[in-house]
Amino acid sequence: MLINHLKIAWRSILKNKLFSFINVVGLSIGLCSALVIGAIIYFDFSFDTFHKDKDRIYRVTSLFKSGNDEFTNRGVPVPLMQTFKDGVSGVEEVAPFMSANFSKVENKSQEVILKNVNDGIFADEGYFQLFDYQWLAGNSQTALSEPAQVVLTKNTAAKYFPKKSPTDVIGSTLVYNDSINVKVSGVVADFEKNTDFKFTDFMSMSSAKMFGEKEIATSDQWNNTSSGDQLFFKVREGVDMAAIRSRLDALAKEHKNTAAWAADDERLFVLQSLPEIHFGGKSGDYPFNNSDHVASKTVLTSLSFVALFLLLLGCANFINLNSAQALTRAKEIGIRKTLGSSKKQVVRQFLGETFILTVLATLLSLLMAPFLLQQFSEFLPSGIDLSVLYSMQGILGIILLVTIVSILSGFYPAFVLSKFRPVAVLKGQFTKGDKGTRLRKTLTVFQFVVAQVFVIATMLVTKQLHFVMNKDMGIKTEAVAYVRLPWNDKSEVKKERLFSQMEKIKGLSKVSWGGNPPTSNNISSTILTYFKEENEMHQETEMLWGDITYLKTYGIPLLAGRERLNDSVKEYIVNERFAKALGFQDPAEVVGTFLKMDSTQIPVVGLMRDFNQRSLRSDIKPLALTGDWGNSNYSSFNAIHFDLGNNTDNWNETIEGVEQAWASVYPDQEIQVEFMDELVEGFYRRERSTVQLLKWATGLAILISCLGLMGLVVYTTERRVKEIGVRKVLGANLAQLNILLCKEFLILVAVAFAVAVPISWYLVQEWIESFAYKTELSWWVFLASGIGMAVIAMAVTGARTYKTANINPIESLRNE
Amino acid sequence: MLLQLNNIFKWVTTGGQRIFLLKDINLEVEEGEFISIMGPSGSGKSTLLNVIGMLDTFDEGEYNFMDESVHSLKEKHRSNLYKQYIGFVFQSYHLLDELTVKENLEMPLIYKKIKGSERKAMVADMLDRFNIVGKKDLFPAQLSGGQQQLVGVARALIASPKLILADEPTGNLNSKQGEEIMELFKQLNEEGVTIIQVTHSEKNAEYGSRIINLLDGRMV
Ligand SMILES: Nc1ncnc2c1ncn2[C@@H]1O[C@H](COP(=O)(O)OP(=O)(O)OP(=O)(O)O)[C@@H](O)[C@H]1O
Ligand SMILES: [Mg+2]
Repeated sequence: MLINHLKIAWRSILKNKLFSFINVVGLSIGLCSALVIGAIIYFDFSFDTFHKDKDRIYRVTSLFKSGNDEFTNRGVPVPLMQTFKDGVSGVEEVAPFMSANFSKVENKSQEVILKNVNDGIFADEGYFQLFDYQWLAGNSQTALSEPAQVVLTKNTAAKYFPKKSPTDVIGSTLVYNDSINVKVSGVVADFEKNTDFKFTDFMSMSSAKMFGEKEIATSDQWNNTSSGDQLFFKVREGVDMAAIRSRLDALAKEHKNTAAWAADDERLFVLQSLPEIHFGGKSGDYPFNNSDHVASKTVLTSLSFVALFLLLLGCANFINLNSAQALTRAKEIGIRKTLGSSKKQVVRQFLGETFILTVLATLLSLLMAPFLLQQFSEFLPSGIDLSVLYSMQGILGIILLVTIVSILSGFYPAFVLSKFRPVAVLKGQFTKGDKGTRLRKTLTVFQFVVAQVFVIATMLVTKQLHFVMNKDMGIKTEAVAYVRLPWNDKSEVKKERLFSQMEKIKGLSKVSWGGNPPTSNNISSTILTYFKEENEMHQETEMLWGDITYLKTYGIPLLAGRERLNDSVKEYIVNERFAKALGFQDPAEVVGTFLKMDSTQIPVVGLMRDFNQRSLRSDIKPLALTGDWGNSNYSSFNAIHFDLGNNTDNWNETIEGVEQAWASVYPDQEIQVEFMDELVEGFYRRERSTVQLLKWATGLAILISCLGLMGLVVYTTERRVKEIGVRKVLGANLAQLNILLCKEFLILVAVAFAVAVPISWYLVQEWIESFAYKTELSWWVFLASGIGMAVIAMAVTGARTYKTANINPIESLRNE
Repeated sequence: MLLQLNNIFKWVTTGGQRIFLLKDINLEVEEGEFISIMGPSGSGKSTLLNVIGMLDTFDEGEYNFMDESVHSLKEKHRSNLYKQYIGFVFQSYHLLDELTVKENLEMPLIYKKIKGSERKAMVADMLDRFNIVGKKDLFPAQLSGGQQQLVGVARALIASPKLILADEPTGNLNSKQGEEIMELFKQLNEEGVTIIQVTHSEKNAEYGSRIINLLDGRMV
């Protein structure tokens, strides 16, 4: 029976080659997107799921509240580590560790030198108790008990000690940072599964002092939080987490910052469970200092929706074509029933056929998956691959997917057909009755709604992106760049030397001292006080530091007042928004007022025009520019900003000049020239990948929908060849016949458009809310996308109807 | 007695009006009979045949088939009944286009859950008997009308039914091909198979042992 069914299925697939092809390809595109996106999502959810007792492991992080602002830090103050080590009730094991960057690691005996090792940590035995590493040499009890001990992962050990086995490595000496001798006390296997714990050198915690790091036992720096200072712990089974949380709250209160300026600030210790770490917590922080990827749940959610919709499209297409095609087989079903087939057998047969097609589609989609994944590789974390699809879980998942899809798309036609009464079929009534047309029309409309929504959304998102990337930010972004001076070389002499060398470069039309560029992601702010009719007004103000040519370099005009007298005088230039925030009707009036910072009175001498200090997601904020006078310990001028001038031909030469100047002053440091236009573009990296994804989704959605439409057209026209023959004999011309055949499809596309407009308008509206500057959701975008879709649909239907309308009537009528 | 129809009525309701397709049909068929149903077009011949073949339902009356009362049987039971005892032959053959001659013949046996080896033997038997061994691997579209109908009859016979129902089996054939089919029926009848056929041709009707005339759904 089964073989017989498969045989019939296979033959009918071959008999309707075009139809089956469309059917399988449509579904496989949907499946392929689902598989690829599934693998991407799986990747992010597979991080650190292998740890023993992972549900009982937590990390403590810090949350700071200041006014309306909240920011997080993945680290904790060091003394908190000691508090936990001393014992907190309910906590079973504690693992504090501190990130470590080593400038150099040297194995003298084999003359191996590695520079910039950034994946180290200072840890104690608690770390290896909490996280289960496989020990290849040494043991977790003693490996980190003494100063100057280090545990390496197998891969790192192989790097430092080429060709030596883990056991041979034990006891060997490594020299860290040129002078610190450390003994290798253990080798552990690297974690093989996906993990954010990518540490390679585990230095004993008691060595921290040798490296000039904080000491846990003695530190009392409760108000110093650095993101590398990590605190993990494991709770006892069945422990009340609320008790631990309230203990942390109490600790935070007890050690609150007592400085006057911090009076209104608040700090909280927040727990993060191990599985959450990969998703970056509240503000999307990276998991650790050495991480290069953080997963975003919103992105993953939107991805899954895209996958779901593409899969649904494929299924809808499949159901549509399958059921349309199945009806042409009503006769076969009728005959089978007269031969004794039961309802169940008919259902089984059709499910079987659907199953074959689904399996074909799945195989095809597995073939296509690597290519699709490649298209997204640009904005995917490295290390993502499709191997999960071929793992046990993956295969089970695919089987499940295939089963669900076959059932979804096979059941409907199977049931419609099995309900046919053989007499009705054999009498030919089925050709008259339009069984399932309603469903088919609904599905077609659904397909086109999805495709249309994707089209409109893509167009609008692209429009918004174009808008923000091209909107005048109020500063010069073309041909302006800056170099940041090395943070670990604070020599004023070198700074000055570089500056004067750069001033001599001919191609640079302007060179200025400054801190951050006027537009960037790094912004610091302070509270300035203004006395307004005897009332103190505190104004949160963003700060910029620059010399007296800084504004000119960035093309920011002064609207009133004057430039500051020199680079280090205590004078402010503020923006219009600041003046308005203080309540000046005419912003120019702000010039000549005094502002108080801490205890100094500082005059406002000029008013600069407003510009956007950040991406256009945020609005313009009150801002003040001042010179280098704030802190005697270090200079606020840590970057040199310059204008490359208008002559684009010389740019390369000029940049080379800058690089040479830098190399002569800082031979050991790498130069990084940051161009303003690139910086601005970088603001919208996420949006750009959204657009990329949307473009793909749109393309695929259109493709599937058109395949579906084509299938339906093929089916309909084939059913109507006789009618067309008769009409032709009666004198209808080609154009009339084409209109006759296309009309019903175009109506469906029009209905889909009507449904898609409000949906896409709503979705884009939601998305665009996150921007302070919004492009208009113009009606022409909607209209254009609708017309575009209609044209595509017309092309698809037209090609086929034209062919059908052209058939010689004698041929089509002879068939009966 | 093979089957018995008592006061069978069948109607459709259109626009609130009952249109009778069958009116008060009373019919007894003994095993081994060869009956021809005749009547003008639209008189209800096919409808009656379908009712007898349990492909169609009726609205009133009693139908007993081999001492089972068909009107009170469930669909599944009913389909078991005809699967076992009834074979159909159609005017337009109704062979399965995707299957070869051999596979078409095999189909009813599969539905009767007969084992593969046994099936092969039975199919080979039939091919032999109808002299179509050479055609066993061809598809219906590759056969002439007469050959297709031959396969149709062979397929109806293969499960050795007690009753063969044929709706204008020669309607699409030329007179020579028609005669061959009729001879075949006659021979089958002599071997003990009960046959009920619908026909327009007086000549074909003569092959039967009894003629039933229908007019407007009524036996006359
Ligand atoms: N579902 C239905 N609804 C309404 N009328 C029907 C239906 N099915 C059949 N009829 C009518 O019942 C009548 C008998 O039909 P039937 O097919 O039995 O005729 P017939 O005697 O076999 O005719 P022919 O010799 O042309 O095959 C016809 O008038 C037909 O129009
Ligand atoms: Mg008839």
